[in-house]
Amino acid sequence: MIWRGIPILMMTFWLLAGPLSAQEPTEQIESDISSRNIAIESNFTGQRIVIFGTIENSEHSEFETSLYDIVVAIRGPKETIVIRKKSRIAGIWINADAYTYANVPGYYAVLSTRPLGEVANRTVLNAYGLGFNSLNLRPLGPNAPVAAADGSLNTFRAAVVRIRQDDGLFSYKPEGVTFVGRNLFRATIDLPANVPVGQYATDVYLLRNGTVLSHNRSQLKIQKQGFERFVYSAAFDHPLLYGIAAVIIAIFAGLMASVMTRRD
Amino acid sequence: MFDIYLPIAELSVNLLVILGMGGAVGFLSGMFGVGGGFLMTPLLIFLGIPPAVAVGTEANQIVASSVSGALAQWRRGNVDVKMGTILLIGGIIGAVIGVQLVKVLREIGQVDLIISLSYVTFLGIIGTLMLIESVRAIRRVRTGGPVSMRRPGQHNWVHGLPLKMRFKHSKLYISAIPPLVLGAFVGVLAAIMGVGGGFIMVPAMIYLLRMPTNVVVGTSLFQIIFVTAAVTVLHSVTNQTVDVLLALILMIGGVIGAQFGARAGQHLKGEQLRALLALMVLAVCLRLLFDLVVQPDELFSLGPAFGGH
Repeated sequence: MIWRGIPILMMTFWLLAGPLSAQEPTEQIESDISSRNIAIESNFTGQRIVIFGTIENSEHSEFETSLYDIVVAIRGPKETIVIRKKSRIAGIWINADAYTYANVPGYYAVLSTRPLGEVANRTVLNAYGLGFNSLNLRPLGPNAPVAAADGSLNTFRAAVVRIRQDDGLFSYKPEGVTFVGRNLFRATIDLPANVPVGQYATDVYLLRNGTVLSHNRSQLKIQKQGFERFVYSAAFDHPLLYGIAAVIIAIFAGLMASVMTRRD
Repeated sequence: MFDIYLPIAELSVNLLVILGMGGAVGFLSGMFGVGGGFLMTPLLIFLGIPPAVAVGTEANQIVASSVSGALAQWRRGNVDVKMGTILLIGGIIGAVIGVQLVKVLREIGQVDLIISLSYVTFLGIIGTLMLIESVRAIRRVRTGGPVSMRRPGQHNWVHGLPLKMRFKHSKLYISAIPPLVLGAFVGVLAAIMGVGGGFIMVPAMIYLLRMPTNVVVGTSLFQIIFVTAAVTVLHSVTNQTVDVLLALILMIGGVIGAQFGARAGQHLKGEQLRALLALMVLAVCLRLLFDLVVQPDELFSLGPAFGGH
């Protein structure tokens, strides 16, 4: 009795789902990154990565290719940072006010087909964390509420974003995503040499008329490799051995120099 | 093309620039017979290396340059091991204090300021004194006057202190307290400034401890090896601010530069050399002072948060 019921159930589902999907095919986004692993070695001066993908079930026709918007967000590992502001004290510029911010992405890049303000409204952008204004940057610590009252907090928040931009660690390219075919898109981003190591997430969002239709995530791992990795992990995991080794290398170098001097 | 990524400083620098800097400072130290740390650390900071990394790494490099210098002095019998040991005991105590000071200053975000201020103070004083002294010497030579150095007196307040020890090599019978304190003071400077401290140690040994000039440089270099080695290990353990790759490049440049510098130094007159060095010291001092006094373009700075987990 039960077995006989299954085909009928499946039929029912097919009848329900079939006509619906025929009327309104849901667009899906598929994407990938040119390299999922980036190694920082001694010759590392930054790296270019390409994010590419395609829209499934697209309604783009030969003549109409601007129905959709694509936003790419690359987010590096979160870190806790301190921002300090210099003040003139006794004639010299000294770090005075400071705030601690938690959960600041070590790297954050947003690329889109057109300026974010045209892609979606504030609520949508905030919900998906797209754009510098959507970053949840709030200071920690006891002195934070006082600062919020006098409005100086905004200048600190703006400075975090500005300095990160100057360092090449935050970026926004409003025309960074381009369609290369009817449904094929690509985005190019140059990771700078000072890019922090860790696990990165690359999110690609498909939007139409200001609503997110589909979202696709790829992982990107940046890590030190070879000699760089060896030195870095030695310095932080075995600091005493590292220090002693540094001294031995120096003594050896000094002895070598002294041998060279003696020859002539 | 010659860019190289430094694992601890975490930035990419041009290999040739670093080699050249090591060579140039090595040349000067070979020519003038000084360590060069007080020039190299500010240069590394000007290049964009974080000041704390510049200091830790430079201490590591000085180990290498003082080993070869001390060895040459040792062969000529110019090292007072007993005096050097007392100085380095003080030096290691000072290094421990200095490294802890750097740790605390990093946490409160004032390490860059204190490093710069220490440099401005010491480079200003040393540069001015050297310039006055060398200009006087040049004038004396020109007027054909006697080139006699002021002989230090036989006794001063140092001789009234307890804990007296006999230093045969230096022909001294003095208290161990002044060398201990002097060593500790220079140890703190080594940890904060990434210098060997010869520029403080040598004059203090001559004028304060009244050591014979022939053993001063050798003994100073002898204790610098141990103090900068201690500073290197302590900074590695406490602050992780020693970049061995950067240090190695500086060592290679330094060794090559020092060879040429020593030869060039033999053909130049002492007073003019000292005047030249004094001017360079003052130039570095002014540059650091300028950065402290003039309003920076960016008032804000970002740093990692310490201990906030």
